[in-house]
Amino acid sequence: MSDNTHTTETEPDDSEHESDLRSDGGKETGIVAPDDETPTWSERKERKVGLSRLTYEYFERARREDQDLRTESDYVERDVLGFPTWPHEIIRNSAISLFFVGMLILIAAALPPHFGAPANPSQTPEIILPDWYLYWSFGLLHLDPINPGLAVLDGDKLMSDELYGVLANVVVVGAIAVVPFLNKGSARRPVEEPFWASIGVGGAVFSLTISALAIQNLIPIPLDLLVNMVFVLPLVSGVIAYAILKTMREGYMYGLNRRYYMLRPPK
Amino acid sequence: MSLKERDEFDHNAWLKQKDLTPIETVFLTTLVYLDRRFRIVDYLELLEDAYYKVNLQMPKSHTEQYNLDNKFWYWYPLYSLGFFSLLAYIVAAVTGALLGFYYSPSTAGDPTAAYASMEAIMRDLQFGFMLRSIHRWAAQIMLAAVFLHMLRVYFTGSYKEPRELNWLLGIILISLSMVFGYTGYLLPWNQLAFWAGQIGVEMALATPIVGEWAAQLLFGGFTLGEATIVRMYILHVFILPFVVTALIALHIGIVWVQGIAEPH
Repeated sequence: MSDNTHTTETEPDDSEHESDLRSDGGKETGIVAPDDETPTWSERKERKVGLSRLTYEYFERARREDQDLRTESDYVERDVLGFPTWPHEIIRNSAISLFFVGMLILIAAALPPHFGAPANPSQTPEIILPDWYLYWSFGLLHLDPINPGLAVLDGDKLMSDELYGVLANVVVVGAIAVVPFLNKGSARRPVEEPFWASIGVGGAVFSLTISALAIQNLIPIPLDLLVNMVFVLPLVSGVIAYAILKTMREGYMYGLNRRYYMLRPPK
Repeated sequence: MSLKERDEFDHNAWLKQKDLTPIETVFLTTLVYLDRRFRIVDYLELLEDAYYKVNLQMPKSHTEQYNLDNKFWYWYPLYSLGFFSLLAYIVAAVTGALLGFYYSPSTAGDPTAAYASMEAIMRDLQFGFMLRSIHRWAAQIMLAAVFLHMLRVYFTGSYKEPRELNWLLGIILISLSMVFGYTGYLLPWNQLAFWAGQIGVEMALATPIVGEWAAQLLFGGFTLGEATIVRMYILHVFILPFVVTALIALHIGIVWVQGIAEPH
């Protein structure tokens, strides 16, 4: 064999492969490997070690697993699509899309954008604001009332207010990012997991209250009260959501859910 | 002669011995001609495979199988939010390309060339005011749809097992969309833009170790000026469109491959 690493003796039906020059798909195609050192694809497949061998083995296993699951499954496949893509689905989707774009243009015509005075570095405006979708981030930059001071440092702050705000942004985005790695399982509906649903409600309310902190000089509430509300309101709404969902859990939905999981137990 | 006239590779002879209509002859001749050069036959299997994958019959959906449609119908409209944000993104891309023809990213002159070109777009350009209005509203609506899309994905638990990586990709996308919005917000170079940029520089400078470097890279220095607006412009019309479009394609491609996470 041209390839020294290849151990032919482990394959009993390999005797006809022993000829010196062999093409990839057998002798018929007339394709010749570049040189004697080049292993053919079948040889690569048959290797006992190496990443290619492992990859090949894994694919074989995965395919077999799929096949087994398919034969075991009592999942009913149906013969016909419920809705043909053309014309039904395409027309429905185009209708929705055109309606949406039409609404967008209507809003754009009805509510023209603001265009303020030119930039003037020597005159700081009274109200500095980003677009509304950055209010939450801007609000996190305004958390300086709760930036802790240390008695050891004579009440000096451990980090600057700006750094504290930047870190708050990192923490919020990081918290959202780790959700799928903390909350596992196959439950999907809020009633199935009141805790995580209430976390979500609290987070959504916090995104609103922290935005209110960003526009604090437009809100006629004293700053310390506002800062308290920023954290208390999400907590309260989370608790309320939890109570409501717990109550719902006992009801009809929960029974439905339990019957479903008796039918298809989670992994 | 060792070569036979009519061996098995003599496709023309094979063609002659068949009784073909003119259309079939033209088709086969073209096919053989192209195949001799491009080896189409090697890709036929791929095409066949793709054909069957595209035309796969959908299995009965979960909600259908367990007859849950009457329980969860109220979730369904919320499943279109991702598509709406894509539509708004496309509208913003088209209007943005048109606006880019007339905008000049420069702080030269008084008022600055950027501000003057915006004024020209809104006052002198046919349809210019509307164009800017559509662009701005498309951006606002895209962000709104993306936020609501994220909430929908959270509350329907759609980020769970096979879909964690797409959730992370979504966080990257929403962040990049907000950077998109921020860079666009700075371009008119009016008071709001300038002072929003000022906050950006301060945020960058507050960050330890990488802060000054980031301020240099993104804002072109510690005070706002010509370098800032050019950088914002290049980010907004060159770098971010490529990156965000590619990531959106990946995001939707993963949804395509993994299927919609149905309500259970």
